[in-house]
Amino acid sequence: MAFPHRPDAPELPDFSMLKRLARDQLIYLLEQLPGKKDLFIEADLMSPLDRIANVSILKQHEVDKLYKVENKPALSSSEQLCFLVRPRIKNMRYIASLVNADKMAGRTRKYKVIFSPQKFYACEMVLEEEGVYGDVSCDEWAFSLLPLDVDLLSMELPEFFRDYFLEGDQRWINTLAQALHLLSTLYGPFPNCYGIGRCAKMSYELWKRLEEEEDGETKGRRPEIGHIFLLDRDVDFVTALCSQVVYEGLVDDTFRIKCGSVDFGPEVTSSDKSLKVLLNAEDKVFNEIRNEHFSNVFGFLSQKARNLQAQYDRRRGMDIKQMKNFVSQELKGLKQEHRLLSLHIGACESIMKKKTKQDFQELIKTEHALLEGFNIRESTNYIEEHIDRQVSPIESLRLMCLLSITENGLIPKDYRSLKTQYLQSYGPEHLLTFFNLRRAGLLTEQAPGDTLTAVESKVSKLVTDKAAGKITDAFSSLAKRSNFRAISKKLNLIPRVDGEYDLKVPRDMAYVFSGAYVPLSCRIIEQVLERRGWQGLDEVVRLLNCSELAFTDMTKDDKASSESLRLILVVFLGGCTFSEISALRFLGREKGYRFIFLTTAVTNSARLMEAMSEVKA
Amino acid sequence: MDCYTANWNPLGDSAFYRKYELYSMDWDLKEELRDCLVAAAPYGGPIALLRNPWRKEKPASARPVLEIYSASGVPLASLLWKSGPVVSLGWSAEEELLCVQEDGVVLVYGLHGDFRRHFSMGNEVLQNRVLDARIFHTEFGSGVAILTGAHRFTLSANVGDLKLRRMPEVPGLQSAPSCWTTVCQDRVAHILLAVGPDLYLPRPFCLVFPLALPQTPPGLAPGVSSFLQMAVSFTYRHLALFTDTGYIWMGTASLKEKLCEFNCNIRAPPKQMVWCSRPRSKERAVVVAWERRLMVVGDAPESIQFVLDEDSYLVPELDGVRVFSRSTHEFLHEVPVASEEIFKIASMAPGALLLEAQKEYEKESQKADEYLREIQELGQLPQAVQQCIEAAGHEHWPDMQKSLLRAASFGKCFLDRFPPDSFVRMCQDLRVLNAIRDYHIGIPLTYSQYPQVLVLRRLYPLAIQICEYLRLPEVQGVSRILAHWACYKVQQKDVSDEDVARAINQKLGDTPGVSYSDIAARAYGCGRTELAIKLLEYEPRSGEQVPLLLKMKRSKLALSKAIESGDTDLVFTVLLHLKNELNRGDFFMTLRNQPMALSLYRQFCKHQELETLKDLYNQDDNHQELGSFHIRASYAAEERIEGRVAALQTAADAFYKAKNEFAAKATEDQMRLLRLQRRLEDELGGQFLDLSLHDTVTTLILSGQNKRAEQLARDFRIPDKRLWWLKLTALADLEDWEELEKFSKSKKSPIGYLPFVEICMKQHNKYEAKKYASRVGPEQKVKALLLVGDVAQAADVAIEHRNEAEMSLVLSHCTGSTDGATADKIQRARAQAQKK
Repeated sequence: MAFPHRPDAPELPDFSMLKRLARDQLIYLLEQLPGKKDLFIEADLMSPLDRIANVSILKQHEVDKLYKVENKPALSSSEQLCFLVRPRIKNMRYIASLVNADKMAGRTRKYKVIFSPQKFYACEMVLEEEGVYGDVSCDEWAFSLLPLDVDLLSMELPEFFRDYFLEGDQRWINTLAQALHLLSTLYGPFPNCYGIGRCAKMSYELWKRLEEEEDGETKGRRPEIGHIFLLDRDVDFVTALCSQVVYEGLVDDTFRIKCGSVDFGPEVTSSDKSLKVLLNAEDKVFNEIRNEHFSNVFGFLSQKARNLQAQYDRRRGMDIKQMKNFVSQELKGLKQEHRLLSLHIGACESIMKKKTKQDFQELIKTEHALLEGFNIRESTNYIEEHIDRQVSPIESLRLMCLLSITENGLIPKDYRSLKTQYLQSYGPEHLLTFFNLRRAGLLTEQAPGDTLTAVESKVSKLVTDKAAGKITDAFSSLAKRSNFRAISKKLNLIPRVDGEYDLKVPRDMAYVFSGAYVPLSCRIIEQVLERRGWQGLDEVVRLLNCSELAFTDMTKDDKASSESLRLILVVFLGGCTFSEISALRFLGREKGYRFIFLTTAVTNSARLMEAMSEVKA
Repeated sequence: MDCYTANWNPLGDSAFYRKYELYSMDWDLKEELRDCLVAAAPYGGPIALLRNPWRKEKPASARPVLEIYSASGVPLASLLWKSGPVVSLGWSAEEELLCVQEDGVVLVYGLHGDFRRHFSMGNEVLQNRVLDARIFHTEFGSGVAILTGAHRFTLSANVGDLKLRRMPEVPGLQSAPSCWTTVCQDRVAHILLAVGPDLYLPRPFCLVFPLALPQTPPGLAPGVSSFLQMAVSFTYRHLALFTDTGYIWMGTASLKEKLCEFNCNIRAPPKQMVWCSRPRSKERAVVVAWERRLMVVGDAPESIQFVLDEDSYLVPELDGVRVFSRSTHEFLHEVPVASEEIFKIASMAPGALLLEAQKEYEKESQKADEYLREIQELGQLPQAVQQCIEAAGHEHWPDMQKSLLRAASFGKCFLDRFPPDSFVRMCQDLRVLNAIRDYHIGIPLTYSQYPQVLVLRRLYPLAIQICEYLRLPEVQGVSRILAHWACYKVQQKDVSDEDVARAINQKLGDTPGVSYSDIAARAYGCGRTELAIKLLEYEPRSGEQVPLLLKMKRSKLALSKAIESGDTDLVFTVLLHLKNELNRGDFFMTLRNQPMALSLYRQFCKHQELETLKDLYNQDDNHQELGSFHIRASYAAEERIEGRVAALQTAADAFYKAKNEFAAKATEDQMRLLRLQRRLEDELGGQFLDLSLHDTVTTLILSGQNKRAEQLARDFRIPDKRLWWLKLTALADLEDWEELEKFSKSKKSPIGYLPFVEICMKQHNKYEAKKYASRVGPEQKVKALLLVGDVAQAADVAIEHRNEAEMSLVLSHCTGSTDGATADKIQRARAQAQKK
């Protein structure tokens, strides 16, 4: 259990520097507005802010009261208002309305808007249109990378997924390039770069241009991280759509991990209070079970409980001196462990209860059938029943998408009927949701006679169009074929099982999906790292519709130590799931690598579906 | 040694002045200098000559020629003067030649006689003509001061940023002032003029006394009835006045303090009077030139006098005075302290001894040791070395520089820790200075004047070599020079755009720090738009290309460049520019070809300008998106039910146009549903609006409206399966078991009977559940039995089915104590099955 790292596993770089940088910059910005001030924080920024600077730090820099940015008039009586927001137009309108209300009341205050991670021209323009541009001062808090864990950096930009993959809005790419640039200035250049996907390619090019413009800073530095791999989420939707069964993923699916911490409700804490728990490597218990298949977790926890009991029991035969030692040194640790243990046991129980209620086994079975491509009719019926019973709008949608992607689109009859059923069950506004899903290539209709070559010629024509971004609109005109089945065969994603797959001693990355499926994204990374490039993967790349979009860039750098060459930064554009993280951690242990993850946000199937859903305002 | 100080002339007790030749002039002047307008730029700058045909009454037989020479007399440019009469010439700090015409127009030429631009000094000047003009330099740039025919002054402190200031009238000024000059006080340029025995300093900004009271310099010898000449020092701190009594008064420019006064006994007005002092020196001296005499006057009873063989011209410098004539170019300055210490006759200064020691050493004389010991005993060797290094810097002749440096290097050997940088630095600097002093280059810069001014002369190769030699960082040095060269290149109008662009790119490559966009901006400034665009192609940072392209009105190109840059803010900037520049139709058309920009703009419109979004879709005939737009409006923007239905109708029409039958039908269904829900609310009360069809039917059943529910299901063709699920769930929720049973018997269930069991169990009604368990089909029977908790029967069925999976399922449900017998039974059956 809880596989230890190989002794020669490389050390991870220290990412806490990123936090310090962000904190110092924030303090600097706050000090730019001397004197007492009230701080308005956008809800989405609250958790990340909390990880960087707590309330007492804010108070030290003369933040008086904290407010949430919401569509309500401000009650603040302070003479100085500071807004900490994401660069969104709706925030601008809110701020403008506050300023204008003050103006009507003949009140003058100082206003400062701090955009995180950067400001956009459109925001300033809205302020101008609303006639308050001269009244507010604007600043940027370039806080784009939050270290959620020792090996996980998040940009905390969930909207990246919808903005780019649905709306074709490329504004975050610049932010990402800046973040990569920051990493390379802090941790040295990356001698080996790989990537796949349009967004990956654009980000990479933009990043390289930034490096060129500001060269000299990274040159001559010893690389600390030997490889970087950029991957678009739309290269592999399948993995993100599957139900997660490793512990961390399951906790995310069930309770929603937000910014590295989770709110365990009364049903978990077995008290009447909710508890906010930070989930990372510092939680010793969690650290041992996070990557485990759920079926092992209970056993492990009970074993752990027994050990704990044994340690407690040791105190029985102790004399006074030993007892003193025990109380002063061990007891606190044991108590802490005890607390964590009971929390995770509570979480497990709660998960079990919820999952059995929804007939989790049936669901998993259907998913596996879809992945393996048999009993499609049965699965379709299952999905239809799922919809008819109104089990869950998001779940139903997810299954439909999974069916569509694994089958290269739904056959027209199913496409119509499932959609009709869905609209009847969950409301007609989802007509728009379906448009979105089709545009993103998540839920499509099999085009009769649309052969692979025909699609390809369309793709290549679009690719050769120089003006970048042409393809984004192509989503609507072209149902991209996912070719999942063929890719699966090529990359051997469905392991041949002879006998039971032993989840306790995993053989491959498929363990994160109960041995039924190796995550496509992780397999691609594995293969490319093994081959040190895309050689021999041409067919796969073609099937992924990424013929022009897979790249390798290796610089001969003798300065890279063998240790750094075993550190790999994987960048997920559009989000990654905990299952993928677990799978790659497993791969790392097997091969003696260590993976570091950078994601625009941690995601899961529900978040993806919600991003695509149209909800009534 | 003796001969070395031969050209030193003592002034008072403490200072020496020396004059030495820089060049013998290479020019072959036909004219006398006095017949020309002369202007020489400071810092060893170029000399401009314009034969002045207008001053003399002779008819202008031929057009005058404007000639520009280097300080060594090498011709740089020569052009025929075709414009109006010139009153005054002068060089700006950027080494541009300013030619002030009689009509107040100032023509600006480059160092190489290329015409740059012209500007006028205003209408007043135009009307009254220019009587006299001066070009002066302040920290803000170069200015022009003009005295008009109406005896008024107009002044511009910076020709680069022309702001004209008219000075207030001096009361009672009937004729031109006897002399005047520009002074700079409190960072403002003023005019100081002399009228009779009084001095005036008009202050245009002072409202109370715009024209200050007449002032008299303090301590001025009596009997002065007018001032004939005045001079301000290079730094504007000091003023010298030449009176008609033959006195020279020297004091501060503020007229508060007198330094000294000297009676030179010559009453003829001098031709020129300039200050001659060096920075950080306490000595103040003025050089006065008459036709054949040059006099250095300071705070001393005697003056130094030189005889001038030829007509000469004085150029004040930061640290001395240049004097040039037809044949020679000389430099007159105060001997710097270091040189004085070393070379003064019988000097015992450490530097002097060191120099001596080194010479003896070369002669292999033991005296070297004696001298050296003497310095070392006093512990002054470091000073000695330092002195020699410093003195070398002030020497003009390389031989002397070398011997001083040799002495320094000799002395250094006997020192443990003497930082070498000052020595190395001096050697480098001197090599550079000697190179540019060479007569081909002709820039007699002194060590004190040595900020680099080479690039302005287009001596690019030399400048680059110097920068490389001095190891200036590339960005500061070489790149700047290359960029300057390129900016010059684009002004060559006779070379084709392609050639220029190629030449520039070949030379510049991608040198760091070179901004192609700056060069392109220059090209655009010269009216070469096409060239500018070509040059921009080389600019690696698309972001830099965009602003200039916008300025050149190439907005569409700017848009694609912005898109290439990947910087969405830049794209947005261009978009707004385009939006204002183009009419709406063209704007949309442009967007249509740029999907990236289009998505960006759409995103913006979605939040800020919904109507524009609609127009965009309309323009594109994008009916699909139009449909979506109206659907969104139907539940976001519209409140009234009629409005919502109308919006949906529009959406449905759009979907038909988009050939999306499915969406159109779904939308029409939604319209029907909305109307119906409205009616239901009216008739039954309660909340129906905005429920999904499924929820609507459920609500109806829950409120006992079974008839209506069935009607609705028929109207909307709800499939049987769904209806059964729906009814089943609703009835169980109501716990209407009777109705449920009736329903279950109404016909054969399309969803089987297992769901019935499940749902009853969910409501914890085992009794009802068991009723349905018996009706469950064989393949789900085991599951159903297990659900109702009948393990034993489930085991029987499983065994009967001989189904391995079912048996294990039952087995997993067997709890140890109660179902022991059942478990055994299954195990037995399994064993049997295996035997077979």
